[in-house]
Amino acid sequence: MNAPHDDDARWVDRATALLDASADNLDAATLSRLNRARQAALAARRGRWRPWTVGAGLAGAAAAMLAIAIGLHGRIDAPSSQAAAPLDATDIDVLSSDDDTLDLSENLDFYAWLESQPVDAHGG
Amino acid sequence: MTPDSALIAIPGCLMAAFDDPPAAPRAERESRALEAFLRGIERRALRMAELSTGQREDALDLVQDAMLGFVRHYGDRDGGEWQPLFWRVLDSRLNDWHRRQRVRGRWWFRPARNEDDEDPIAAVPDAREPGPLARLADAEATLALDGALRALPIRQRQAFLLRVWEGLDVADTATAMRCSEGSVKTHLFRALANLRDALEVHR
Repeated sequence: MNAPHDDDARWVDRATALLDASADNLDAATLSRLNRARQAALAARRGRWRPWTVGAGLAGAAAAMLAIAIGLHGRIDAPSSQAAAPLDATDIDVLSSDDDTLDLSENLDFYAWLESQPVDAHGG
Repeated sequence: MTPDSALIAIPGCLMAAFDDPPAAPRAERESRALEAFLRGIERRALRMAELSTGQREDALDLVQDAMLGFVRHYGDRDGGEWQPLFWRVLDSRLNDWHRRQRVRGRWWFRPARNEDDEDPIAAVPDAREPGPLARLADAEATLALDGALRALPIRQRQAFLLRVWEGLDVADTATAMRCSEGSVKTHLFRALANLRDALEVHR
């Protein structure tokens, strides 16, 4: 096998020009086939799902499911929500009354003893 | 940036975000760029496939398949990366085609061709006949060149066509052929030597 020659450039240029000409002079039927192949490839691109569109679709579906779940939960809990009406000032006073809570905790022993006594011993 | 200027800049950023072209026109622009790229490369791709297969029908099928694969896998890449990636897809399809041909040859009890072990020059009986390449009419010279190129092992032919005809640099040729840059240089060296020998009398 010979080593590459310095004058390769001449025949390489000629070969390149011939290849260019052969590509430029394709017949109409072949060009039409190439055009159809190109359009088919581009149509496949337009028709495919892109990752971000899938992600957006999933996010939308998740949001819709969440909204439905919240709506159903609200309906099921509707009666109990009425019971949990906002506390008024009187309720807060009762709950925060230190006197009552102290009385209860201080008299726990008494109530336990009273519970253990026979009915007759209650004097009733 | 002072707090006041930041307050002024934020609406500006928001406006800039709204000024961005919507997704649909951008996709349309990308599609047009992709079409222009494919339109610019498809003829050479067909000739390359034809030189590899020796048949126009198979070559057309391979180019169509390469376009689909390229658009599917690399259509979203930056346009500057398209050229070597397209040739990479086509090169892969050509290698698959040759592999199938070898399997088919074995099935029919024909000796499988191992192009790298063969003397490619021996397979070019007619290329020397018409006379010096430089003095041939274009049609005859093209036939002689086609014969010499077809006789090359596929890797040598691809290295010559991608590096010399398509004008890819060594790195991009290596990307297209899925091999090292050193392999590209070796394949090209051998291709040039074989083509020179085959076309010697035509120079």
